[in-house]
Amino acid sequence: MGSLIMDPTGQTTRVEAEMQLAHRPPSLSGRTVGLLDNGKQNAGRFVEELGKVLAERYGVGSVVLRKKPVATVDAPSELLEELHHAAELVVIGVGDCGSCSAAAVADGIALERLGTPTAVVCTESFKATADAMAVVRGAAGYRYATVEHPMAGLPGDEVRARAEGVADEVVSLLVDAAVRRGAA
Amino acid sequence: MIDLEGLASIRTSLEADGYEIEVTDGDRVAVVISATPEACAECLVPASVMVPILEHTLKVPGDRIDLTYPTDHEASDHEASDHEE
Repeated sequence: MGSLIMDPTGQTTRVEAEMQLAHRPPSLSGRTVGLLDNGKQNAGRFVEELGKVLAERYGVGSVVLRKKPVATVDAPSELLEELHHAAELVVIGVGDCGSCSAAAVADGIALERLGTPTAVVCTESFKATADAMAVVRGAAGYRYATVEHPMAGLPGDEVRARAEGVADEVVSLLVDAAVRRGAA
Repeated sequence: MIDLEGLASIRTSLEADGYEIEVTDGDRVAVVISATPEACAECLVPASVMVPILEHTLKVPGDRIDLTYPTDHEASDHEASDHEE
């Protein structure tokens, strides 16, 4: 439910309740990062490469790799609970179809609500479904990282390049205390 | 009046999965999503999820949207075949 506020110009503005993100650490140094492979082609390779980049550039201490049983629907709550306990932060990839991008965003929002800072990676073609799923799940404006579409079918060196290219954006989603997703 | 930028955005997403979208804007908003031969069956969200997606992207209330899905077409095709037999 939104609330009405009066701004200095005398206008009233409806402000939606902002989704509360999980607390962000100041850096990734020494942290355990969960990598959730959503099962799409190259998603596992992508999140593993991203984990390596995060270790090389940002000092991530260790990674925990898990795979969703079905990419196109929400991850089982037991899997998200396990990741929440096994890792301090989570990266989810890759939302490179309509249903799997929506599901990836839904998983990211669910992990945030469990208290785990999470960065979701989708391909650029699926911003519409990703954004809309955030609204459906009560987190309008939820931010996620994007890479060029498609991910499926890419050779290993290009998957690595995608991981290198998006790493900074992923980190900004995980550690920037100023980042706040939700207000729409 | 639907949001044309939103329509372009959802069209981009659907086309990447091998689907086409046609929208007729009037008293109600008729949305027909159809599959091309290259369509990825599991990539399309269920119709129950697509309606709020369309509501958000087209910026029209969901209760004004009449959505026709590829499965609806298939059902119609089957019905037609049944009648022909």
